[in-house]
Amino acid sequence: MRIVIAEDAAVIRAGLAEILTDRGHEIVAAVGDAEALKDAVAADQPDVAIVDVRMPPSHTDEGLRAAIAIRRDHPGVGILVFSQYIETRYAADLLATGSGGVGYLLKDRVADVAEFTDAITRIAAGGTALDPEVVSGLLNASRHASALGTLTAREQDVLALMAEGRSNSAIADRIFVSERAVEKHISNIFTRLNLPPSDSDHRRVLAVLAYLGT
Amino acid sequence: MNDNQNMTEPPASPAWGAPFAKRSWAELRYALVTLPLAIAAVAFIVPMLYNGLLWAASADGVWKLGAASRFLARRLLGEDVPAPPRPRSVVSYKVRTKDGARLAKAAEEAGGKARAWESKPGVTVRRLPPARIAELAAAAGITIDEMQPSSAFLSWTGGRTTDPVTWRARAYFGLKLPLAVVGLAVAAVCWLGGLYYLTFPAWWSLGLHNTLGFHIMTLGVAFSLCPVGMALLVTGPWLLHGVTNVDCWLIRGLLGASSPAERIRALEESRAIAVDDAAARLRGIERDLHDGAQAQLVALSMKLGLARDKLTGDGQVDVARVARLVEDAHAGILEAIVDLRTLARGIHPPVLDQGLADALTTLATRSAVPVELVTDIPERPSDAIETMAYFSAAELLTNVAKHSGARRATLEAVHVPGLLRIRVTDDGLGGARPVPGGGLCGLADRVRAVDGRVDIDSPRGGPTAVTVELPSRA
Repeated sequence: MRIVIAEDAAVIRAGLAEILTDRGHEIVAAVGDAEALKDAVAADQPDVAIVDVRMPPSHTDEGLRAAIAIRRDHPGVGILVFSQYIETRYAADLLATGSGGVGYLLKDRVADVAEFTDAITRIAAGGTALDPEVVSGLLNASRHASALGTLTAREQDVLALMAEGRSNSAIADRIFVSERAVEKHISNIFTRLNLPPSDSDHRRVLAVLAYLGT
Repeated sequence: MNDNQNMTEPPASPAWGAPFAKRSWAELRYALVTLPLAIAAVAFIVPMLYNGLLWAASADGVWKLGAASRFLARRLLGEDVPAPPRPRSVVSYKVRTKDGARLAKAAEEAGGKARAWESKPGVTVRRLPPARIAELAAAAGITIDEMQPSSAFLSWTGGRTTDPVTWRARAYFGLKLPLAVVGLAVAAVCWLGGLYYLTFPAWWSLGLHNTLGFHIMTLGVAFSLCPVGMALLVTGPWLLHGVTNVDCWLIRGLLGASSPAERIRALEESRAIAVDDAAARLRGIERDLHDGAQAQLVALSMKLGLARDKLTGDGQVDVARVARLVEDAHAGILEAIVDLRTLARGIHPPVLDQGLADALTTLATRSAVPVELVTDIPERPSDAIETMAYFSAAELLTNVAKHSGARRATLEAVHVPGLLRIRVTDDGLGGARPVPGGGLCGLADRVRAVDGRVDIDSPRGGPTAVTVELPSRA
């Protein structure tokens, strides 16, 4: 995959490049601020851009705003926003930009290299990768808290994993049940929350996120 | 220079020693320096009395002239007058209500200023916050239809035209100018005249036979004028001392922060500075953590994650590669430790618990420029003051290393009951000035927040001496 990295801390930039190169990806540009990021994306049209939220000059949310702009101007480029803090508000802004190819992870997640590269692959393929913290934030902030309360604990686990962007088989692996059981949980969740049934992973995630976001 | 003598103290004891007392020379210097200042001040103030807009425009300048006078009085006479608050914008509130007159009365009783409108029902209230106005109205059963703050321009001019501090300062310079002329006249007559008569026989020998309309016939008579000269020289300092005392009395009354309301304003300002400063420090610490140790640790987790994958993955383990990753991670940990240590010390240096003297010793040895340390701290000031003194010294030494080009510096810390004085001097280029937003200005603001003060003496070409004075307790 062709990847652009935008991160102002040189140590992290170098670390990311090392991991991704090791996994056979190509780093087409590694930049330190939002303007350079936008230029690099326009010039190189990467598969995925990894974007730090806080970058110069103001060190607030430059990266996030650049990410939203890129999603508008280059819908084909997958975006992974990553940061040392999770802000539910940022997640909502990012997800409001529309369909898949987007992710928001804590920087700590990079430590699990396989998971991290898996998330990038998912984003490049038009899927979603949301940090469990993002999901729990969205679940807590959701106006449908009462409806969510009617789900069993197991169903809530499945919903959270689904919202992170995982497939049925990945969910089954995570909670040690069969795929068949996962499908059953999911159909229960959709019924309880009054969501239209859907087969495709991707549309399913969107339905969940739309539900949480409204 | 900074002899903190009390003003009631006479210039010298015994009385005839006055001409030779240090105090007399200080008062003479003060008289010489403040006359031009008084002339300049009056020349600035009088044309600006033309209309209200000019009153407002000149308010900040008048404050600075007052500050210059306070500085000279402190520097030359040891007369320490606390600075009154600077002129500032005062937002007034236009309140539309049927009971304008009653609300005006309530506002005046609550310590505000109010003026009922003439053309329509309503009132303009100054010097009260909107919540307080609403509260007063509610308590008096008055309905407020609409309340609007004055525009930025009106707030700016309004606050400055009516600022009592500025008006008192103008009054001071009005009185100071004649006083300065008198002071200098006394000095000229007594010192120059005294010397002239004391040495009159010499002038007589040179052929000067007339003085004050008298013809002096003999050298003997000329010698009889010597005691007159002596008398003038002895009385001069006493007269000048009287004039200086009047001046100090005026400075205390007109240039100081006299009324409780002004003291409250000054405290409000310093509280705002303290609160902002605390918030800025926390933001700075967060930034340092985020960009420093936190980033280091994330990078580390990547290296170790990759190394773990290499070790547990299928196939041949690339030992050299894993070894390099672990080595990088190890180096990264050491960097993160140093980062955290620096940051922790920046929050509170542990050695400060042992006392300021020990902490300053460590600070001095860490300085890039060799520092000679003098401490005399028999009793410990309060924790907050020690911390502030430590960081002030640290900042000043950093300035020396960064900007002064000095080859050596001294750091003095002296604690007498009630006052802790930190002084950093260096033999560098000088020319240190506080610029808004700069380090010295920030330092002065922080020190002012605890009623301390910063004195910068840094002529071009050096040497530089910066003195920070703090009360023993915050």
